Amino acid sequence: MNQQRLGLLFMAPVALFLLVGFVSPIVIVGWYSLMEPRSFELTTVFTLANYRTAFTEGYEAPFFWSLGGAAVTTLTCLLLAWPTARILHALAGRGAAVITALIAAPIFISESVRLFGMSLFLMPGGGILAGTLRTLFDVNIGSVLNTKLGVYLGLVYVHFPFVLFPVLLGVALIPPDRIDAARDLGASRWQVLREIELPLALPGLVIGGLLAFVLCIGANAEAAILGGQTVTVLTRAIEQRFSYAQDWPMGAALTILVIAMTAVFVFPALARLDLNRLIRR
Amino acid sequence: MTASRLLHQMARSNPLRSGPNRRHVLGGLAASVAASAALPRMGHAQDDGLALLTWDAYADPRLLDMWREKTGVAPRYEIHISDPTSVNRLRAGETAVWDFVNLNNPWAREILWPEGLIYDLPRDRFEPLYAQMFEKFAMPYDWALSKDGNNLLGVVQRFETFDFVVNSDVISPELAKNEGWDLFNNPDFAGRYGILAYEDWNVMDICMGAGIHPFKPKSDADFTKFEETARRWIDNAKLITTDFVQLNLAMLNGEIDLYFTGGTYTASSARAEGATNIYAITPSSGPADGKGGINWIELNSAVANPARKEAAFDFLEWITTPDAAEIIARGNGNLQPVSQMAQDEVLSRFSTEELDAIQWDEFDERISNAVEFDIVPDYDRLYDIYSAAIRDRG
Repeated sequence: MNQQRLGLLFMAPVALFLLVGFVSPIVIVGWYSLMEPRSFELTTVFTLANYRTAFTEGYEAPFFWSLGGAAVTTLTCLLLAWPTARILHALAGRGAAVITALIAAPIFISESVRLFGMSLFLMPGGGILAGTLRTLFDVNIGSVLNTKLGVYLGLVYVHFPFVLFPVLLGVALIPPDRIDAARDLGASRWQVLREIELPLALPGLVIGGLLAFVLCIGANAEAAILGGQTVTVLTRAIEQRFSYAQDWPMGAALTILVIAMTAVFVFPALARLDLNRLIRR
Repeated sequence: MTASRLLHQMARSNPLRSGPNRRHVLGGLAASVAASAALPRMGHAQDDGLALLTWDAYADPRLLDMWREKTGVAPRYEIHISDPTSVNRLRAGETAVWDFVNLNNPWAREILWPEGLIYDLPRDRFEPLYAQMFEKFAMPYDWALSKDGNNLLGVVQRFETFDFVVNSDVISPELAKNEGWDLFNNPDFAGRYGILAYEDWNVMDICMGAGIHPFKPKSDADFTKFEETARRWIDNAKLITTDFVQLNLAMLNGEIDLYFTGGTYTASSARAEGATNIYAITPSSGPADGKGGINWIELNSAVANPARKEAAFDFLEWITTPDAAEIIARGNGNLQPVSQMAQDEVLSRFSTEELDAIQWDEFDERISNAVEFDIVPDYDRLYDIYSAAIRDRG
């Protein structure tokens, strides 16, 4: 058996799994999106009515909040992750593992549990933050819970670790001697950052950014638990169509649009990644 | 009305449910896939014990343990994602999977029985159980019977009114009952109330607030009034959530003074913990034939699965025994009235504090001020108005 046939043979189980588990559901969802609104059957009578509705019946707000929230959260996480990763990298072997573990540990706890914990922290009146500030400093703060700020804080809190670790990987890709050489040649701190560090750490930044962005587009719990549904995010709008509205075709059309929009952002970013370089091959 | 049209309308009329979320939806999809994969194997699974498709109270571990001790086999169960989802699963062939189904009142007579998805019960065996319930359920009790009145379709157990909840330290219960849904129309309470996003119930409540009978056909003027009320109520809400604990906490914390939709189901556990200022209200009057409250009733039925038909009948009879009924009334940590509380032997098992938690002293009054849950005509259009208002919020 030649190498190529052997390769195909080894690939077959994974290919079959992806076909059944990944491609087929998307095909079914795409098919449903072309059915009459509020129908339950897959037929060959197609319509674009659901897509028209998506652009005419006020769904731009959920798109705005999900995409805008994802962009702002990703940016914030990247801004926070960069200095954190630099510090952790510099501290390697001197406590970095403990800090890393502290940041990573919450990932192993259910997202809902973490967000409910945060809601107790942010709760006005008897909440941990408000109560502590009032008791210790006689300071009364307004409510952060059930506001857009609450949603933003929740998104950053949940997604920060997903950005930090790829960025840490990116920072590790920067050879220290390049920075030294740049400084010896008179580069300013800004020039070192812009010309040396960011380009070399780009794979980590892109992966971290993509992870946060894609996860944020699908995020629902933050708006529900910390935001009091002060905004309706896309996943919530989709869920409404599938559940209370029993309008599977409309839910499917929104789902396909989300997939398409995510692809618009993800594929160009992925094209910039050189995985071989990332794993030092 | 065609069967599919009726299903379509009922599909939006699912009463009490835990709030839907991504996990539930994904879990449901996964369960559906698993259940479909299991279908061919069901013939070999007859010794697995009863399979319950149910709301949470019937999945209480104490109840399941008692049945296991009695029969030697523990029931399997799955908690509904929603009434219509489960009905659709039975319609899709899962009658071969499940033996017992616990759904709200309209489903059995409108869909399950006409489509042959449940068995009728032997009347000589089960009708006497109705004689041990409250007078409200005396035979012939329409929701438990087929439309022609010839077939008994299930056993009634959990029931209550589900309207709104106030902080009685801020709003007196008497005032709340008298004002009814107009409390949410009062500009003084803008930003002082929450919404429990059981959205089909929200639609019914907004109908009430707009002065429209939720269970009767709507005119164009009704739709206009509904939209105006829906947008105002949604925009003025301090928070909207699928978690009633969050709403109770917000009320205790002083963030809000009242919320809809709510009732014993959402208030009783907090009241049992001592927060007796969390008070379920059923309005004294309203636009539904003069009534302002809505009363849901669960009907337990035997799924048309020949594999365990007799065992399902046994289970249906057994859940009405005092020991089982008591556990169901306390199911999953909530206190919830059951029809067997008409019997002193069952009622006496609840302490004064527990009865206070379910506001037992005024339970009859609440039931008498409520219309029975039913299909909402024109639900599609009403829900689209409601969900558009939700999307526009913020």
